[in-house]
Amino acid sequence: MEVGPTIEGLLKEFEGKVRLVVKFFPYPYRDYARIAAEAALEAWEQGKFREMHEILIRKSPRLDRESLIGYARELSLDVGRFVKAIDSGEHSSIIERDVKLAKELDLYVTPAFYINGLKVLGVRDYDYFREIIVKELKEVQDLDKR
Amino acid sequence: MKRLGLFALFLIIESALPHVFAAEKRFSLPTEGSPLIGPKRAAVTIVEFIDYQ
Repeated sequence: MEVGPTIEGLLKEFEGKVRLVVKFFPYPYRDYARIAAEAALEAWEQGKFREMHEILIRKSPRLDRESLIGYARELSLDVGRFVKAIDSGEHSSIIERDVKLAKELDLYVTPAFYINGLKVLGVRDYDYFREIIVKELKEVQDLDKR
Repeated sequence: MKRLGLFALFLIIESALPHVFAAEKRFSLPTEGSPLIGPKRAAVTIVEFIDYQ
């Protein structure tokens, strides 16, 4: 079971009510984890984060440099800028910042989620996330009524 | 033996009601300066730590 499509589905079902903020926690001993995070950040820089994020989840573990460049081409990114960014680690400061935060939070697995601050670790099914979101939305509605 | 039984009971309850435990503490996480999917403001914010590989 992959959690990527689950989150995609939740964002569609609760469109306008739920937002996803992505932080990067690439494992140091995985060959392409880091460069894939760089690719996502460069796509963000070029205004196509969601598209690249979804491709990376769908295509994983095919995340080698050449494959990433192919995905950038598919999305009509500026490939020259993209290659320069992933080769030089242009966005490494953001990745380092996120890794530092993950360590401060004592995280050691991915995916890890915080839903309005509530921690959910590991892969869970659609209904598990849905239940928490529905409860959170209800709490917000109840607060609005007060 | 009794301790083992209690531990087994705890595991059964924990696996049946994981959301109860997940809901215990709320963490405050910075969201500025990170990629976002969805509206800038929303009733529910999911922060995901991801490793694409």
